[in-house]
Amino acid sequence: MSALVAGILAVLTLTLIKATPLIYAALGGVLSERSGVVNIGLEGILIAGAFTSVVVSGATGSPVVGALCGIVAGALLAAILAYGATRLGVDQIVAGTGLNIAALAAAAFGIVLVYHQPGATHEVPAFGRAGETTLIVLAFAMAVLLHVILNRTPWGLHVRACGEDPGAAEAAGIDALRTRFTAVVIGGAIASLGGVYLALAELDLYSDGMTAGRGFIALAAVIFGRWTPLGATGAALFFGFFSALQFSLQRAGIASELMQALPYLAAVVALAGFAGRVRAPASDGVPYVRT
Amino acid sequence: MRTLLGGRTARDLMVVVVLVFGVGSIAMLLAHVSPLDGFGALFDGAFGTREEVAETLVQTTNLLFPALGIAIAFRAGLFNIGAEGQLVLGGFAAGWLGAQVPLPAVLAVPMVLIAGTLAGGAWGAIPGFLRARYGANEVIATLMLNVIAVLLATYLVNGPLALPGSGASETPTLPHAAQLGDLVANSRLTWAFPIALVLAFALRWLLQRTVFGYELRAAGDAPEAAKRAGIDLGRTALIAMTLSGAMAGLGGATIVAGELHRFNTGLSPGYGFIAIAVALVGNLDPLWIIVAAFAFGVLQSGGIAMQAEAGVPRDVVSLVTGLVIIALAGRRVVATRRTT
Repeated sequence: MSALVAGILAVLTLTLIKATPLIYAALGGVLSERSGVVNIGLEGILIAGAFTSVVVSGATGSPVVGALCGIVAGALLAAILAYGATRLGVDQIVAGTGLNIAALAAAAFGIVLVYHQPGATHEVPAFGRAGETTLIVLAFAMAVLLHVILNRTPWGLHVRACGEDPGAAEAAGIDALRTRFTAVVIGGAIASLGGVYLALAELDLYSDGMTAGRGFIALAAVIFGRWTPLGATGAALFFGFFSALQFSLQRAGIASELMQALPYLAAVVALAGFAGRVRAPASDGVPYVRT
Repeated sequence: MRTLLGGRTARDLMVVVVLVFGVGSIAMLLAHVSPLDGFGALFDGAFGTREEVAETLVQTTNLLFPALGIAIAFRAGLFNIGAEGQLVLGGFAAGWLGAQVPLPAVLAVPMVLIAGTLAGGAWGAIPGFLRARYGANEVIATLMLNVIAVLLATYLVNGPLALPGSGASETPTLPHAAQLGDLVANSRLTWAFPIALVLAFALRWLLQRTVFGYELRAAGDAPEAAKRAGIDLGRTALIAMTLSGAMAGLGGATIVAGELHRFNTGLSPGYGFIAIAVALVGNLDPLWIIVAAFAFGVLQSGGIAMQAEAGVPRDVVSLVTGLVIIALAGRRVVATRRTT
């Protein structure tokens, strides 16, 4: 009996560990998309956060300084997308795709430059148990905070207005371009914490391909969570749970590929409207041009 | 606007040249390599010998198929970023069927290529159908289907569809009859290259000279007007996405039948993503896309030599590719993106 309890506890702990980076990335995606900018570049932002935090932690010996620089890196990458999307009217999908490719390659190149070896960085000072727990708790706190900000503050209202109808928002005196820019950059900062968690809490290094498509699972969580912070967090937990169960289910004869495919299948199903009514913000992904 | 196409493409190619040589030089200097040596190794690797030129054309071919597919979807106002998954599944269908069904060459090669085309087309049809029937956003759908495709192919090749003689994550070697013939000795260059060129011209004809091509462009350029003119937007979306996936799938089949002679889950180093850059640089015009595919083919095949000979990590090529995509995202690639 106690073995069963221990087993359940182990799965739940692993669920939290697997879900945390997804929660951060998904929350970043929610904030960005609620303002009307689709952030396909979440994967690249995770990479930027993970790689930068490792390099800086290695150089300074402080994982906290590393984490802060990782957040700045993620915000900067998001700022490129945000500037292009709001000021240059570039296509958000195309730009985000480019960001992912460029970030992955830049980190791979950076590993060789800094550590003179391909594939992975050295091990660096990482967060201990306490730091990891703090980051996990912070993820949930961030979800609640974002929920409150989006639904209960004037700025949150502005963000949502820009995501639904930026023209009307501007008519009401809101600077839609600036609101979108800020939302995307803050979203990038939040998402990059997922990369920091992966690199300095779950592990203590960065290696090529380490983010393993979590940015895309996070996009799926945004949709499955119906573009709300709490919904996306729930979806991330759901996906994290299946990821945690993977080893047990594999032993039970269920192929791991089918398990891994689950978040993506869930997103496609949700998109097609099979899982109840799902509606993206009306102006999600639509560039706003002042006339 | 169409009359300006040539000028715009020339300008986009200039952006590529500036990024390649600018970012490339900076990266090489960071790696303590003289850009002269780095680019020397790159171009030597791409053009140094007959076999190296052939390999450059192989890379051109591998990019050309998915890029043409991406272009047809983009022209219809649909963002197919699922070429990678369509290519992988096309390769799987080709490799599996080719190894499974023994046929004489005259039948085996067409069978393998058609299998890849159909599998890629079917995978492209899914987001097309979801779009047409349920209004599901094709960007996210294709993105998700990319990952599902790779996982599905890995599952099938190792599990229910494993063949006697299969290795880990790969099918057995194709019988000789199912392999595409070489064009240049000691190279991987096959008939896939001329097939891709013919396909580019055929696509150009389809887009510019047929009623369907006109409807497809109308649906992309002005969906509201097209709808009022009686064009069925759902139908064009479904057909465009199916054709788009079919071309990427055919590309996957030619990689299997012509280069690897078996399906392997790692058959693509991201051709489906690099092809987005190719399609954008080629301004979604099939003939310019040939030029763009050649440019990126040079980077792909020369990048290996650049790493081996000059010690510059190949990742620089991917970095430049990503930056090219970002730089060209500013082009209004699709006049009016369909939003509903």
